[in-house]
Amino acid sequence: MNYTFDFSSIAIGPLLDGLFVTIQLTLAANVIGIVAGFVLALLLMSPFAIVRVPFMLFVEFFRCTPAIIQVVWFFYCVPMLLDVFLDPLMMGILALGLNLTAFNAEAYRASIQGVPREQRDAGIALGLNPLQRIRYIILPTAFRESIPVLLTNGIGIFQQSALVAIVAIQDLMYEGKTLATATYRPIETFTVVALIYFAVSFPVSQVVGLIERRRALAAA
Amino acid sequence: MVASSPLVKMQSLHKSYGDGAVQVLKGIDIEMKPGERLVVIGPSGGGKSTLLRVMMGLEQIDSGSITFAGQPYVSSASREKKTLIDTEVRRSIGMVFQHYTLFPHLNILQNLVLAPRKVRNEPKASAEARALSLLERFGLAAKARAYPAQLSGGQKQRVAIARALMLDPKLMLFDEVTSALDPELVSEVEHVIMQLADQDMPMMIVTHDMWFAKNIASRVIFCAGGVVVEDGPPEQVLGSPREERTREFIERVFHIKQ
Amino acid sequence: MDLDFTIVLRYYDALLIGLWTTVQLTMVCIALGCALGFVTALGRTSKNFALRAITGTYVELFRGTPVLIQLFWIFFCLPLILGVELSNFISATIALTLYMGAISSETFRASLKSVGSEQLDACIALGLPRSVQIRNIIMPQAVLRAVPTLLSNCVSLFKESALVSAVGMADLMFVGQNISNNIARPVEVLTVVAIIYFVIAFPITRAVTFVERRMLIRLAI
Ligand SMILES: Nc1ncnc2c1ncn2[C@@H]1O[C@H](COP(=O)(O)OP(=O)(O)O)[C@@H](O)[C@H]1O
Ligand SMILES: [Mg+2]
Repeated sequence: MNYTFDFSSIAIGPLLDGLFVTIQLTLAANVIGIVAGFVLALLLMSPFAIVRVPFMLFVEFFRCTPAIIQVVWFFYCVPMLLDVFLDPLMMGILALGLNLTAFNAEAYRASIQGVPREQRDAGIALGLNPLQRIRYIILPTAFRESIPVLLTNGIGIFQQSALVAIVAIQDLMYEGKTLATATYRPIETFTVVALIYFAVSFPVSQVVGLIERRRALAAA
Repeated sequence: MVASSPLVKMQSLHKSYGDGAVQVLKGIDIEMKPGERLVVIGPSGGGKSTLLRVMMGLEQIDSGSITFAGQPYVSSASREKKTLIDTEVRRSIGMVFQHYTLFPHLNILQNLVLAPRKVRNEPKASAEARALSLLERFGLAAKARAYPAQLSGGQKQRVAIARALMLDPKLMLFDEVTSALDPELVSEVEHVIMQLADQDMPMMIVTHDMWFAKNIASRVIFCAGGVVVEDGPPEQVLGSPREERTREFIERVFHIKQ
Repeated sequence: MDLDFTIVLRYYDALLIGLWTTVQLTMVCIALGCALGFVTALGRTSKNFALRAITGTYVELFRGTPVLIQLFWIFFCLPLILGVELSNFISATIALTLYMGAISSETFRASLKSVGSEQLDACIALGLPRSVQIRNIIMPQAVLRAVPTLLSNCVSLFKESALVSAVGMADLMFVGQNISNNIARPVEVLTVVAIIYFVIAFPITRAVTFVERRMLIRLAI
């Protein structure tokens, strides 16, 4: 290997601007995903098939197709079909937010259905009515249970957000590509960009690991 | 002289967990003669399982030694030194655990023939023939191709006993083998162990079932706090114990039983 | 606006070629990635510190960064460093295999850990030699337990493989986007492409549930 590294031409300014856009995207998508995902989870458990099935299809479609086609589809098709033109960042937030909604809905559903039978029975034995049981016993337990998965999904969306660079949203990935081309220093640029993504993701995944280990200990 | 030479001889076994923080065995000396059936009773946490696990070579010891038929096979000079375990001698001992520990991905027949095939290079046909006749004897012939998950607890435990017997052990260790079973399944497992007793298989049994202890033991040891508190014939230890602690324990257990 | 999905039929041969590339790439990377993942899992649980550090860094780096940047790195940086040209397929295979290896090593690590210590006790009590313990008892149980998660990983890989379109490899996504741009019919073409991905990925996710329910419960693993 006879390549000489030179990090001096990597301007950190544009990268930080890009990171700011990436983080905006991530946070906004997470707000959508956490709220709408919860509503969707309740709809998924509706006793009426006519309500349940369309939403199940929605979830499965997002879970079983590449995120890149979801984003590209959103950018090209939504304006044509609905005749609305949103600012690209808005479109990116919506596409990623819906994607996250589908994944979070599954997480919520699994943890709501995972609340042990005894908890419900205890609620009945205490004379709580069905709404009170849901409000005070099932939802709080389920929400706590789903936190690690919500965090994992949330950081997953942070990583997936890199693909909005393809539709020219000026996020971290986009700025990285631009800089790599402008400086003819792809190795240095992409390495720095990768490390920035890593520096955000890694601590969050460590926190998730910590929560899971503590829970495993508490359960043992 | 030969007849009375011990089958197992444990000498001042010391064992602790967590770098010596918890002393579990505090000097155990037990001699077991050929043909003896030793029942070990005692409060939980008293070190009974640890004692059997040490005999099976599953645990390191701090100091002490065990010989089997005159051959030393477990020995350690200090906690820092690795316990020496003679795996050849260990193969003469079989052990059955409380939680069956069958291999879940192998069917019953495969569970039985694995060790003879891999340890002794026994031909498949002969190992399978022996396995099937053992299963027949234990009333499990129909289950040969079933998987452990498809069996009841009592059936699983009988398979575990059959699996240990496939290696023709000269001594069997049973650690609370009926404790995890539903009450109505206990007797089918105890019955199988009684069958072995009828064939003079030497064994060491940890149990909380006083009826079973009385019926199978040729000698009973009361073990508590890591030492042997009382050691004698079943009529003595279970009937009219000499030690105060033994009596308290027996009374408590019998009260719960009634 | 009027939609005409039959128009997509005219390009079915191009889409099939793209799909074939996607499937080939995914299959190769699944095979290589699973093997890499298993070896990495052994490395991460090894007693050797250097081995643990290397495998740990590899896994965390690939799990902690977007697949897109991994692809860019392998496509544009690796050839510069190695000083050789790499074909698109080779570059994509390297990148996605490393990704699959990283996520699958976590799967194998968890499944290896889940083989209880009492299984080892039983092995010792039966006098099984170490090699038999690993080959006949630990490995089969760990692999069986890993199957559902590995299948999910395969779906993830299949989906992530669409990112290779962004570095100019002519997979299903790339072909679909090209057609869509050429005939200016994004709704029809992109929807059909999405459905093709769905039709392949969805049954595999169902298989995961099936495997978990049937096989693992029957074996109680
Ligand atoms: N692996 C272990 N690590 C630490 N302590 C242990 C371990 N196994 C057993 N012990 C402790 O050793 C003591 C004796 O345990 P055990 O031999 O299982 O008793 P028994 O079988 O008579 O109930 C208990 O206090 C138990 O908590
Ligand atoms: Mg015990």
